[in-house]
Amino acid sequence: MESLVKLSFYCFAAGSIAVAASWVSYVLFTIGRVRLRQAELQTSAGTTVRASKAEFAPGWTSAGRFGSMMAWFGVVMMGLSVIFRTAASHRGPYSNMYEFSLAFVFVLLLIYLLFERFYEVKQLGVIVLTIAGAMCLYIWSLPSYMREVDALNPALQNRPLMTVHVSSAILAYATFAVSFAAAILYLIQVRKNVSWLPSADMLDDIGYRAVTVGFPLLALVLILGSVWAHEAWGAYWSWDPKETAALFTWLVYGVYLHTRTLRGWRGERSAYVLLFGFAAVVFTYYGNYFFGGMHAYGGVN
Amino acid sequence: MAQATVDTRGSRRSPLEMVVDRIWRFFCSVRAAVVEIIILAVLVLLGTLRGSDAPQWLADAIPATQPAVDWLYDWDVFHSLPLMLILGVLCVAIVVCTLNRVPGIWKTIVDPTIRTNRSFLENAELSAAYQSAAAPAAAVGELSESLQKHRYRVLHEERGADIHLYADKNRYAKLGTFPFHLALILILLGGIVGARYGFREMTFVVPEGSVREVGHGTGLSVELIQFIDSWREEGIPSEYRSDLVIWKNGEKVKEGTITVNNPISYDNVTFYQSSYGQAAAFRITDTDGNLLFDDSIPLGQYTAVNNPDAPAGLQQLPQIGSQLNVIGQDQDPQNAPELDDLQLENGQMFLQLRQTADDGSVEILTGVVDPGETIQLGSVNIEYLREKRFTLMQVASNPGIPIFFAASFLLVAGLAVTFYFPHRRIRGIIGPGSDQTGSRVLMAPLARWDWSGQRDFRRIIERIETESRIAVTINERPREHAASRSESAADASE
Ligand code: HEM
Repeated sequence: MESLVKLSFYCFAAGSIAVAASWVSYVLFTIGRVRLRQAELQTSAGTTVRASKAEFAPGWTSAGRFGSMMAWFGVVMMGLSVIFRTAASHRGPYSNMYEFSLAFVFVLLLIYLLFERFYEVKQLGVIVLTIAGAMCLYIWSLPSYMREVDALNPALQNRPLMTVHVSSAILAYATFAVSFAAAILYLIQVRKNVSWLPSADMLDDIGYRAVTVGFPLLALVLILGSVWAHEAWGAYWSWDPKETAALFTWLVYGVYLHTRTLRGWRGERSAYVLLFGFAAVVFTYYGNYFFGGMHAYGGVN
Repeated sequence: MAQATVDTRGSRRSPLEMVVDRIWRFFCSVRAAVVEIIILAVLVLLGTLRGSDAPQWLADAIPATQPAVDWLYDWDVFHSLPLMLILGVLCVAIVVCTLNRVPGIWKTIVDPTIRTNRSFLENAELSAAYQSAAAPAAAVGELSESLQKHRYRVLHEERGADIHLYADKNRYAKLGTFPFHLALILILLGGIVGARYGFREMTFVVPEGSVREVGHGTGLSVELIQFIDSWREEGIPSEYRSDLVIWKNGEKVKEGTITVNNPISYDNVTFYQSSYGQAAAFRITDTDGNLLFDDSIPLGQYTAVNNPDAPAGLQQLPQIGSQLNVIGQDQDPQNAPELDDLQLENGQMFLQLRQTADDGSVEILTGVVDPGETIQLGSVNIEYLREKRFTLMQVASNPGIPIFFAASFLLVAGLAVTFYFPHRRIRGIIGPGSDQTGSRVLMAPLARWDWSGQRDFRRIIERIETESRIAVTINERPREHAASRSESAADASE
């Protein structure tokens, strides 16, 4: 039992290194494609004007391939880490922020890589891997007692329901992170018309597709959360801040889905709604740090 | 231009009709819906922040905001009028919008417009054209076959020398937004039904061996057969359970065990294990031998003024105008029980009988009993039978639950259908070839702004190319130049 927990931790450590390597590779892949060309022009008045221009350069594709490889390795390591921990605790990753975040990194990488395969573009990796890396740093910063597997508050013991509830939340947040990455690149693309980024339409589509996965999942999180509150506390909906934060996030993505059908909102403004939506996700995710209420036992208070 | 159109129509319509029309169009507007959802989201955000320390941090950082922060903490957003109002507006909007859209969508499903025009196809963001050696009618047949392989329904119509073609797939999925949006209303309805016709008792106490009535017109009573708990070494309870019997109008209707997270239900009334505590069984008679009380008194529900950590309970004895207070031993070692006023020994109970005389004066009689002992206080004999335990349950009845479950199902299923079975459409015109032999095919997907839709179209074209071994020209046009008006003219429901 104890050794499984250790094994899980070592896998996480290996996964973190893979995430770092993958991040560096994706950065090199993306930045390596931009070559700044400087030119000095002599004007008729005799002054010199220096002009610089970003140019597409085909190099560094191997960095992109290595980045994907490392990300896949990271997925395997994080996945093993989650599996070993589940084997040790006999339950899903919901006892504290350490477990939850570990599972989040695993799912985020996996979802991202599926999108990468489906759309055959790698540039989103820069942003997604930055998020994954930041999450790894956050996990490392958590107090080490959270790495232990300990007993759970009896209110959290409804296993199947809790497992599906929390897994849906992790999946939803991960897909929203992908749509966030797509929205950032979209905004860069429509402003700067960058040849080495995917087309704006594709980025818009990635953002939308990710939301079509995340939005129903977040609905499921809210539904299962209330069913579980009903089982544990006898009330479906008690306006607990963690619940209402998730509802808020869901509504923001509801706004996003409607704006896509509106002329004038579609495109750039929808992309801003996606950025805002992800801010709401982060707010909900870290809500434990400043909400009281029933969800505050996640081990951080 | 638009103004003039409204005016001429308005002259033939009464002002009331115009107002109704205005209101109707307001509720149909997705733009208005966006604003409404944003307002709801802002209220939910305020309510969420109210449940956190964040506003106080703001006030600490910027003292000038303190009044606003205090106001927020005072404002029960989730039970406020603005929230109710916006929810009401959203419900009306959803209903109106549904009524407004169903006929058009139904027509798109069963009887879509097949006719299109060349300029729409030529100016579409993405279009495909090819020459076929077959005559138009045969070329349509071949094309239909290819499209049907991709699960498209194909409809066509002759217009002079041309044949117009309309193909779509997943048409019924367009209906998915209706169950989804209606589910939002149903969830609110479930909440209202639950709040109006349900009840929730947070502290429903039944001592072991006792029966308690649920009330609220349910006719139910609950008997606690026994309470069992198990402890871990560290002194944390690992599990506890209550074995219950539920009676309805004097008949035993259900037996069962509840633990935390595993409630039991009968008749829409659900019993949740919530906590437990110590109780004391008493038998109280007056000096004539009349039975006044024969049941258990739960302890720990009240605190004694002199000894706040000791388990205390009270029982009214209305027959003699008295109240019996019972205080047990303080078992928390940190409270240094030897300092307690009462100096109770293990198992002893301190009793206090408060008798209110007719003139309002209160007489207090006290005594200490051991288990199995009887004590006389004033005019009553109190027999302390033994220590027992009580279970503390929550009892709730929520008739909104079936509505909630139905709504949840509709919500998730409606979303899944809408998102994962997108309605794809292709329009085309098949005309005679330029040299009067064969035919010329021109077609375009209705996929403005829709990268996935365009990709699906490209894949279909690729298949047609390889299967029929013909060369297809793909035309792409930047969106700015792609005519949008002709597209909406070609398809009113777009
Ligand atoms: C004022 C009330 C509302 C109205 C009038 C309304 C109207 C509409 C309309 C007309 C569509 C169809 C768009 C299309 O098929 O092109 C739609 C889609 C949708 N609405 Fe609403 N809506 C309302 C409230 C909501 C709310 C509160 C939510 C949840 C947050 C929501 C979530 C959605 C979703 C997820 C879609 C599907 C988008 C898609 O097909 O991509 N709606 N809504």
